[in-house]
Amino acid sequence: MNGSFRNAGAAALAAALCFSGANEVLAADPQLCAACHGPAGNSIIPVNPSLAAQPEQSISIQLFQFREGNRKDAQMTPMAANLTNKEMNELAAYFSKQKAAAPSHKTSPENAAAGAKLAQQFNCVQCHGPALLGQQHIPRLAGQQYGYLLEQLRKFKAQKRADLDGNMTSAAEPLTDKDIEILVDYAAGLSPQ
Amino acid sequence: MNSRKALAAAFLTLFATAALAQAPAAPPSWQQGRSAEQTSSPLHPFAPHLTGRASKDLPLDKLKVPAGFKVEVWADGIPEARSLALGDKGTVFVSNRLAKNVYAVVDKAGSREVKTLLKGLNAPNGIVFAKGTLYVAERHRITRYDGVEGSLDNAPEAKVVIDDLDPQNQPGHFWKFLALGPDGKLYYNVGAPGNIVMPAYFQGAISRVDPKTGIKEEYVQGVRNSVGFDWHPQTKQLWFTEHGRDWLGDDSPSDELNVAKAKGQHFGYPYCHQGDTLDPEFGKGRDCKAYTPPVLKLGAHVAPLGMRFYTGKMFPAEYRNNIFIARHGSWNRSTKQGYDIYRVVLNENGKVIKSEPFLTGFLTDEKADPPMWGRPVDVLQMKDGSLLFSDDYNGILYRISYAKK
Repeated sequence: MNGSFRNAGAAALAAALCFSGANEVLAADPQLCAACHGPAGNSIIPVNPSLAAQPEQSISIQLFQFREGNRKDAQMTPMAANLTNKEMNELAAYFSKQKAAAPSHKTSPENAAAGAKLAQQFNCVQCHGPALLGQQHIPRLAGQQYGYLLEQLRKFKAQKRADLDGNMTSAAEPLTDKDIEILVDYAAGLSPQ
Repeated sequence: MNSRKALAAAFLTLFATAALAQAPAAPPSWQQGRSAEQTSSPLHPFAPHLTGRASKDLPLDKLKVPAGFKVEVWADGIPEARSLALGDKGTVFVSNRLAKNVYAVVDKAGSREVKTLLKGLNAPNGIVFAKGTLYVAERHRITRYDGVEGSLDNAPEAKVVIDDLDPQNQPGHFWKFLALGPDGKLYYNVGAPGNIVMPAYFQGAISRVDPKTGIKEEYVQGVRNSVGFDWHPQTKQLWFTEHGRDWLGDDSPSDELNVAKAKGQHFGYPYCHQGDTLDPEFGKGRDCKAYTPPVLKLGAHVAPLGMRFYTGKMFPAEYRNNIFIARHGSWNRSTKQGYDIYRVVLNENGKVIKSEPFLTGFLTDEKADPPMWGRPVDVLQMKDGSLLFSDDYNGILYRISYAKK
């Protein structure tokens, strides 16, 4: 299911790129990002992250990582390839100022308290903040897409996710599969405000 | 569904096999050495804005220098600007650590053009220029680019000086500082592979390599990590900054300014910190008297990086042979300090007689997170005697000049 949603998004994006012709100017048009990341950066595709109300630096750093080949993704690598630093900063500034939509995910009642406890126990709150809203280069997890969070956390645990400083690879190390499911169920349902 | 499940199972098997073959992820080196209580500490290193920030968006009016001096932005748009080197024709070369490029900044009638000179390198933090050649120290090797200033748009091919600098792909402190000694040899650091760990051979040391032969030797040891050194203009002795260990508290130990007087000296790490404080773990059975103490304590966690002796004629005479040190600023301290250009004054015998902050203003709220809006990394004396310094947080170079009023 996720895969087909994602492909639909990619097709829409490809169409947008084709019709845009000279993408030099439009490369930094946030509307192009909307095909996959949703209107104003509020993703409606479970495996794609919301960008709205993410800390500015967390967006620009990830765009940089995609362009430099440190983080790889079939959709994002080509999208970032031609962006200049200035365009990345502009996109980051734009999406960081958009209002985050209420999360579509509802945390299951049994995971609300358990998730909060794990977020303390595994030090998520040390960097992502007590309400998991993110700060500086560290992304907001609260209200982020469930499927995206699950995939990223599993990749960190498998040591397969680009990591600026090794923090997340290390943080994910002691998590069990069950811990990951509870944490993601918890974070995806939190208020993004 | 069935095929999908089978595929998933195949992936899981793959991951499981990989996980078995793979060592567990070590904690990031900055976390290593924390006590059990410190695992929930909110202290963390700061990441630079890797895409840079425009100087027009920054509170430049907060920067303060002594009377008669002036500070201005010299060039921006240089992502994660770290070490600096000056070419014979006036090109300013700029390195980085997390990114992979080396930049060349050319001054054209008062405006600066930034060119991406080298791409795709491995943590190319160390750069030095001599006699037409740019040397670059990456994580694992030192290379030379001959005649580089003649072809800034099409960099010459890299020639390897030495390529076995990181045989273990070491964690922590793998980036190098690079400088050319009065003996014609290239000096570089290999830091400790963690916050507080026993270094292996050639780690926790400053070494040197003869660019003609590629033969290396350890020069001094017991150096946790040095990312800045220079030679005294008169004594020709090697002075270097050193970062002390983390997680021993807000005020302990101090970072250091050291002088190497002879090959083979040991500066204490991991046994003794700041010349007088035994490490709680590695210091057992040791005596600080066995190690060379610093000539100056620079403050706990201030992170002194690039340093140079000032030999120019633009600044007043009392600045001659002073040391300017870029203090990157503390993260492992609940009240932040540093984030400045620090001045160290020596007497004619080369003894430290005074030290003080010279340029301040990046640190705006010592309790905030982040507490600063910029972070100095390296200093460079220009031909006219003005002083450039780099700021990796924003990707900016600043120029400090002096004019008698």
